[in-house]
Amino acid sequence: MTNNTTGDKSSGSTSGDVTQDAPFPKPRPMDFAAPVVIFVFAAVVAYLTTTFEDASPLIVGHAMQPRNFPLFLMAVICVLNVVLIIQTVLRPPSRRDLEPWQTWLSMVVLGLFFILAAYADLFLGIIVSMFVLSILWGERRLWVSTLVSVATPAIIFFVFDQVLKVRFPRGILTNLWYGA
Amino acid sequence: MEQAVTAFFSVFADPYLLGLICITTIAGVIIGALPGLGATTGAALLLPFTLTMDPVYAITILTTIYCSATFAGAITAILINTPGTPAAAATTFDGFPLAQRGEAGRALGVAVVASTIGGIFSVFALAIAAPLMAQVAYEFRPPEYFALTLFGLSMLASISEGGAIKNLIGGLFGVWLATIGADQVTAVERFMFGNYELYEGLNFIPVMIGLFAMSELLYQSTRVNQIVEQIAMKAVKLPSWADYKRIAGTVARSCGIGTFIGILPAEGATVASMIGYSEAKRWSKNKEEFGKGAIEGVAGAEAANNSATGGAMVPTLVLGIPGSATTAVIIVGLMVHGLRPGPYLFTQQVDKVYAIFGAMLAANIMFLVLGLYGAKIFARVTLVPRQILWPIVFALAIVGAYSLNQAMLDVWLVLIFGVVGFMCRRFGFSVAPIAIVLILGEMVETNLQNSLKIFDGQWWLILTQPLAAVFLILAALGLARPFLSALSDRRRRVTTSTLSE
Repeated sequence: MTNNTTGDKSSGSTSGDVTQDAPFPKPRPMDFAAPVVIFVFAAVVAYLTTTFEDASPLIVGHAMQPRNFPLFLMAVICVLNVVLIIQTVLRPPSRRDLEPWQTWLSMVVLGLFFILAAYADLFLGIIVSMFVLSILWGERRLWVSTLVSVATPAIIFFVFDQVLKVRFPRGILTNLWYGA
Repeated sequence: MEQAVTAFFSVFADPYLLGLICITTIAGVIIGALPGLGATTGAALLLPFTLTMDPVYAITILTTIYCSATFAGAITAILINTPGTPAAAATTFDGFPLAQRGEAGRALGVAVVASTIGGIFSVFALAIAAPLMAQVAYEFRPPEYFALTLFGLSMLASISEGGAIKNLIGGLFGVWLATIGADQVTAVERFMFGNYELYEGLNFIPVMIGLFAMSELLYQSTRVNQIVEQIAMKAVKLPSWADYKRIAGTVARSCGIGTFIGILPAEGATVASMIGYSEAKRWSKNKEEFGKGAIEGVAGAEAANNSATGGAMVPTLVLGIPGSATTAVIIVGLMVHGLRPGPYLFTQQVDKVYAIFGAMLAANIMFLVLGLYGAKIFARVTLVPRQILWPIVFALAIVGAYSLNQAMLDVWLVLIFGVVGFMCRRFGFSVAPIAIVLILGEMVETNLQNSLKIFDGQWWLILTQPLAAVFLILAALGLARPFLSALSDRRRRVTTSTLSE
């Protein structure tokens, strides 16, 4: 038996443009995406530390002001990031194909869940997201998707509500149980 | 001592606890057998269910999941060439070729027996080593703890997933996450953006659920088009006497290796299994069989990864430093239930600690039985379609995160860290260092601050403390090791190619 992949365009080219034939593979701009994001993140964190209040010297004593430790962390991260860039230049990572459309739409579903859970009902958000995810990932039997996406949250709700005494936020669906 | 022994064996006289261990072992084996759902995700998802339980029962659930899921990764590793957990990756090297030869049952039998021996060995090692280490840890002051946490951080450089630099960046990101909220010493608000729910810092569990469960959901979405065939298996059979003779040395060696690697902070079952496998190959008389279906390969990897579970519990319980990503979740579980990890746990809560050890032993015996008689059934769970399984995981992740503090902020954290975790993995960063260091982060800063106060701001005086100096030297070696081994690999390759020319 083998792991048989279908629709996996990368199967023959996982090493991508860093082919074994090429003696000196060159990094692509995308290889530097992570280091760039890390630098931007470190810069934002460093800026945010300037907005911190100064703690009283009596409390701080010989220790550091609260802003100094995150600043120190960001400095070390930047140094490591420089090493990461050098590593990327010397040995570019193997090419990865773009994720399938299901991945990006799954992220959109997480966004949809946020909107529904924040403005309508937590469980409505879960039910809709489960149903859409199930269809998105290839379930063709609508009744299966519906059953799973309705029964699972219902069971979870009653287990947490009745056994673990968890009170869920009020919303369109939870009000049916808690009362308006 | 008598109290400890009584507590250790009391587990076997508690039918409720034994029943709980049985059910949790089944759940753990199923979780471990499902590719993508490992011990860490399983423990994080089940933690909310333990909130109303007695602390011993709650921690027993988490440790049982840890032990059984670590073993169960071997089921899919052998049958479908996909490790159920990262720790089972080395099991695929020989387990799957054995299955292809029609010896899936034999391979699983060897895996079950080796895992059980490894697990039981590590529980006894834990029961002996933890109190001894606790005696030493009583002497630790902030400089020693600071140096120890740096040693833990440095070990991230050598965990196998991701590269050393990427793991260290991930670890430091985890330390930064731990600075969110009010500063422990001065109460100055940091990175809170006016949100007072963050005053006491980020809740660890939603972050971990996001990093492991939600990011795995997104990762699994990249594989929806994959079709996986499964090898048929007649039955799991116990290894024959010839097999036992063949694997005895390997299992004994891997037990020692796995327990030692597990005790090192941050290193876990994955590293242990890789080293266990390579040592099995190095010492074997049948080196040429490795990669083609050597049972020593399966036994070496499985004994090592399961013995790392007990080893990883040593720094977790004694020092509050996670031995692996799953033990990071267990630390949170201990704290949620009022058991603060540290040396005093072994004097103030000795009955609870030894009951947990006893429960781990019971779990290891339980999965021997379940593994031998139920592996064929458990193998079927790998057939659960992704489009059914992962929406259920989604619902459990969201409700589980919410239920801990009954705060919607925790749900948003799951979503945010799900995407962050997925992006990290997308660019080759492992999420395990972030999770491990999230627990260590607060210890790093607090102990550094306290050390600075002790030494009037002269940080270099930390080096004058003998134990702290030892840990700092070990940390330096830990940081240098991946680079030195890469250098020596390169030299070896150059030498080999020169010789062959």
